[in-house]
Amino acid sequence: MATETNPETGKLEFFLDVPFPSSREATIALRSLSPDREPRRGGISKQLSVSGSTLSVWSADEARILRVSVNSFLDHLSLVVETMEDFGPPVDL
Amino acid sequence: MTVVIGFEGSANKIGVGIISDGEVLSNPRRTYITPPGFMPSDTARHHRAVILTVLKEALEQAGLKPADIDCVAYTKGPGMGAPLVTVAIVARTVAQLWGKPLLGVNHCIGHIEMGRLITKSNNPTVLYVSGGNTQVIAYLERRYRIFGETIDIAVGNCLDRFARVIKISNDPSPGYNIEQMAKKGTRYVELPYTVKGMDVSFSGILSFIEETVFAMLVETTERAMAHCGSQEVLIVGGVGCNQRLQEMMGVMCKERGAKLFATDERFCIDNGAMIAQAGWEMFRTGRVTELEDSWITQRYRTDEVEVTWRD
Repeated sequence: MATETNPETGKLEFFLDVPFPSSREATIALRSLSPDREPRRGGISKQLSVSGSTLSVWSADEARILRVSVNSFLDHLSLVVETMEDFGPPVDL
Repeated sequence: MTVVIGFEGSANKIGVGIISDGEVLSNPRRTYITPPGFMPSDTARHHRAVILTVLKEALEQAGLKPADIDCVAYTKGPGMGAPLVTVAIVARTVAQLWGKPLLGVNHCIGHIEMGRLITKSNNPTVLYVSGGNTQVIAYLERRYRIFGETIDIAVGNCLDRFARVIKISNDPSPGYNIEQMAKKGTRYVELPYTVKGMDVSFSGILSFIEETVFAMLVETTERAMAHCGSQEVLIVGGVGCNQRLQEMMGVMCKERGAKLFATDERFCIDNGAMIAQAGWEMFRTGRVTELEDSWITQRYRTDEVEVTWRD
């Protein structure tokens, strides 16, 4: 996890890499966490992506908005992980 | 045989229900009794804490394994944003873990389809009354048309706020406690009665008692029935539990030679099985929701949905 200010845009950026047991599970998490829009349209931009078996999050803006968005994301992420623990592993397709 | 699991959590109730071809196999639910000054995030936190337990209960009580499920239905909207997201996230995750299709359901249509299933009514005019919604609905040509609605707040919201003003307990629900007190009442106080054609208004008259509010709803329901030539009324939504409302609607129906249908508190209050039932109807006509389109929405009108499962 890391937060820094982008010198070009002056916005705060937050990076988080989340390891999963497999790329399938990282993709499941991505698809569960990406559909909903941020509650506040303006001032926040979040990008989720999967590389290998890591889910990466990147979002940028003012500190207070960033903090709310990150807190919310981490709550939702932990819910996905707990659901996977209770009801996984994913079935063979 | 088609088995659908439904997830509902758009307000302060979190429920997971399983339906198999018109049979409710399980329908566990938890209610968040809201303390004064609660926020949607508190409700979301409540749902977050119990949802996986309720899901396990639903499967256990139905005696089913995930492999037995054909489709995962969840509430797309309308409702409170944070609780909706919490529930949708679990639904999306288990749908992917179990390799099952996902289906986003309109909460109001969940109430309607559950009412139709349980009461076996044919084509009723529907009064949908709850804390968050007040609508008079009739089915016509593949849409649940909103004939009339509140122009400001829902009737349940009005009753809840009144309960707060006179400091009635929220346990088990404010509306239930108002009803119990009203049963002992003897004096009718005439208050502003606001019906505008098909619509009703509740915000100007917060010092309510049931008689006036319910009479307004009976009037607009009757107007919709007359317009549609309907001989059946179905009451759905949490306020539909209220026996005085059912009584008053019953009087109007009797006068018209119409039939009144209502369900008990298991099904008129928000529950998971109603989402499963609407999902079952939709799934059987080939509807599914792609994950990218599975975002929740706080506003979702009943008439936005194409009702492909009725003629």
